Amino acid sequence: MRRNPFLYGLQKLLLFLASMLLLSVTVFYAARLAPGDPLVAYYGERAEKLTPEERTQAEERLGLYDPLHTQYLRWLSNALRGDFGMSYKYKTDVLDIIGKRLNNTLLLGGTGFVLIFALSPVLGILCARFEDRPLDRLLCRAGALSSCIPEFWLSLALILIFSVWLRLLPSSGAYAVGKARDWGDRLIHLLLPLTVVVLSHLWYYAYMIRNKLLEEIRANYVLLAKAKGLNRRQILLRHCLRNILPPYFSMMAIAVPHILGGTYVTETVFSYPGLGALSYESARCQDTYLLMALCLFSGGAVMLCGMLAQAVNERLDPRIRPGGGMEVDHFG
Amino acid sequence: MPELLNVKNLSVSFRTPQGEVEAVRDVSFSVKAGEVLAIVGESGCGKSVLCKSILKLLPVTAQIKSGSIHADGMDITSLSEREMQKLRGRLFSMVFQDPMTALNPTIPAGRQIAEAVRVHRPRAAGTEVRCRVESLLTLVGLTPEKAQLYPHQLSGGMRQRCVMAAALASEPKILFADEPTTALDVTVQAQILDLLREIQQTLGTATVLVSHDLGVVARAADRVAVMYAGKIVEIGTVEEIFYDPRHPYTWGLLLALPSLAREGEPLYAIPGTPPSLLHPPKGDAFAPRNRYALAIDYEEAPPMFQITETHFAATWLLDERAPPVESPVKGGFYG
Amino acid sequence: MAEVLLDVQRVSCRFPLPGRTVLQAVDDVSFQIRRGEVFGLVGESGSGKSTLVRCIMNLIRPSAGKIYYQGIDIWDKKQFQENRKHLQTARQIIFQDSTSSLNQRMKVADIISEPMVIHGVTPPRGSHRAEAAFQLHYVGLDASYLDKYPPELSGGMRQRVAIARSLSMEPEFLVADEPVSSLDVSIQAQILNLFRHLQEEHGFTFLFIAHDLAVVRYLCGRAAVMYHGKIVELAPVRALFADPKHPYTQALLASVPAPDPRRERARKPVEFGEFSTAGTLRELAPDHYVLTEDC
Repeated sequence: MRRNPFLYGLQKLLLFLASMLLLSVTVFYAARLAPGDPLVAYYGERAEKLTPEERTQAEERLGLYDPLHTQYLRWLSNALRGDFGMSYKYKTDVLDIIGKRLNNTLLLGGTGFVLIFALSPVLGILCARFEDRPLDRLLCRAGALSSCIPEFWLSLALILIFSVWLRLLPSSGAYAVGKARDWGDRLIHLLLPLTVVVLSHLWYYAYMIRNKLLEEIRANYVLLAKAKGLNRRQILLRHCLRNILPPYFSMMAIAVPHILGGTYVTETVFSYPGLGALSYESARCQDTYLLMALCLFSGGAVMLCGMLAQAVNERLDPRIRPGGGMEVDHFG
Repeated sequence: MPELLNVKNLSVSFRTPQGEVEAVRDVSFSVKAGEVLAIVGESGCGKSVLCKSILKLLPVTAQIKSGSIHADGMDITSLSEREMQKLRGRLFSMVFQDPMTALNPTIPAGRQIAEAVRVHRPRAAGTEVRCRVESLLTLVGLTPEKAQLYPHQLSGGMRQRCVMAAALASEPKILFADEPTTALDVTVQAQILDLLREIQQTLGTATVLVSHDLGVVARAADRVAVMYAGKIVEIGTVEEIFYDPRHPYTWGLLLALPSLAREGEPLYAIPGTPPSLLHPPKGDAFAPRNRYALAIDYEEAPPMFQITETHFAATWLLDERAPPVESPVKGGFYG
Repeated sequence: MAEVLLDVQRVSCRFPLPGRTVLQAVDDVSFQIRRGEVFGLVGESGSGKSTLVRCIMNLIRPSAGKIYYQGIDIWDKKQFQENRKHLQTARQIIFQDSTSSLNQRMKVADIISEPMVIHGVTPPRGSHRAEAAFQLHYVGLDASYLDKYPPELSGGMRQRVAIARSLSMEPEFLVADEPVSSLDVSIQAQILNLFRHLQEEHGFTFLFIAHDLAVVRYLCGRAAVMYHGKIVELAPVRALFADPKHPYTQALLASVPAPDPRRERARKPVEFGEFSTAGTLRELAPDHYVLTEDC
């Protein structure tokens, strides 16, 4: 169906904004109705020593006395103007805090993402090429094992082995104190969390590729390709791989949130100063506005990636491409 | 004419969790250059397995149990996959039943034909390959512009023509066509059959045509082999099979055709269903459905009786000790 | 002359396509089916026969025209509601592919009695199971099949079960959409004989859709040939085969390979062009309608 690209874009945009709004409402109410005290986030330990008058004053100053929906609407009107509020804990604009932590997360998540999507086709093709032979069986078992182990457990095991016993790698942080610009040091700190991120997701995608390839190789056109005289390697690379690429690319886009989530867990275990650790912290301390900004950021990324996936898929598959209709048939 | 394909006592089995399925049992036949041999039978009789086992296109669960296959004077029975790859496309090739799925949907038709051209000529120049693709398209009756189109943009008939062009790219000496027209409309079917016959006469290929449709066979074949439960029960020239069939199963097949039905009479329906090939019955597999079955049919499988130089049938009715039976097909059938 | 059971009047069915084009799947089609006859509908893929059948079975709304079943306008909301029960039980359809139209996980007995359960009919023979056994016997299978599942049956038996299911509501009008085209010759003969028996002995009315002309010739009394959404010829089968008048019918008949090698060898290759679908159906011979151009 040919459609107006402008209308299509507008429709998607509206959908995106509506989802973001819904997400912000949900996060706001969930954060506020959860048990806990925002003042603890603001004053830390001191909050417990406050006198009742001081408490009332502080709550009034932070606007915590208004009804929840008023607070939400205030936040919304500010947010529309680009002000996402202040973090109770850090006492600065939430966007500043996020900005500082974003690099670290992008480094960990981005490198993990690239590695996963470079390695999974290699593994998938190897397995499909040697289907049901020892190599395939070995990889399948090792892969299943690696993706079954929970991330936090794997993280702890690696810390125990490489940091505690062998004392080869640091167990936490993104860099040693005072070495923020030392790339070598950053790399060393990256090794363990990166291993966890890659290992826990790699097999999922490699296995998908393996199975999709094997599904393709049982298709009818492979018989014709064989009858033409092509060998298994040529058939796999030229025909089958090509056909699974569109779903694979869209899978990549959908995988962003998946891998991002894994990164968050890993960051928390390794105290890696990224967005994941920050989210965990802000949720724990009732740092509402920081939490909301983080959720909206992650949620927005997820939705954008989903839309990207759809767009990529439509572009790659000739059958969905506009103008790819039937040729008028002169032979019957 | 030299014999291009010679199959002797071939048996093929599939390993399944329930046991061994004997899909092809002791089959022998040969095909000469420039000749079309049709293999006729109902679904599950092993005709398709027979072809694929010659090209070794069967899944790994299938195994040649015994017998030999000679193609162009070469024993190919136990060739490795690597050696078979060198022969496929050049010595023999295959056209499949469903043109809708036989082409890769994401690659333009022309590129899939070009690929077949390049397989056995990896060093051919681009222009040379393009020329060859164009001449192949012309051979199958398509205009060269069709090369750019994706399979979903072509009709069923055009796709089948493209499949044929790809199969013929390296001028195979033997062409297998597995139900090439079953998925097509009647009018398109006629054109593809005519094309098959025409190409086969210009290029002199030996063709093995697998079909369940006796009309298709009558139109395209020189010789016919009738298969039942994994065995060839009758083989002969197309005229011998249609005008003087000897095996009761062949009679049944012909009598069941609505186009040959006499006004007001019900069709003859072969009673029962084909046997399971998991444990093929002792004796003649057709005996339980055969109204002319003799006692010996349940005991011992009949050998191939020779009727003429080209006509053979495996039925005890042809034994000299058997009671004479009037063929229900013979005489005045085709008014 | 018998009562007119189905009356299709000037039915058209259009589908919008991308690029502001419209697919005219069915184009101004009219015909009538009388009680007790087997009416054949012949056409190649894309001729619109399946769309037409869906219009007749209340599955696709036609863009124009009327369809009457025993005088009931089946696409009129009010009339349909008033006669809903009758329309849904009196007309039944048998599909081509019994493998996919039968639920693989239901026993044969349950498959056959399902329509009665849905419509809340009290089984006249005591129990649903007895009813299923009766219908099964009717199509030539014995009661031992009641507890089997479809995958355990052969293609021909599955098709019999599908027929038994459609008979369970005691319909009077059966639509068979290519019911034998996926079956082997010997099995096909069994099913064709069954259809013939149902019509001759029990007086069912059939709309029989097929692409195989030999089957239509064997089974049907009258037949219509469809091409590009139009009926190009409608005649008693004997006249249609002996004296086809429309060029498309002639080409169609000429391209069916006959099981007769000598005749096939003598035949010239068939050439195909496009055929005109302009004009209107005219009665050129008694009861023999042909699409002819207006002059």
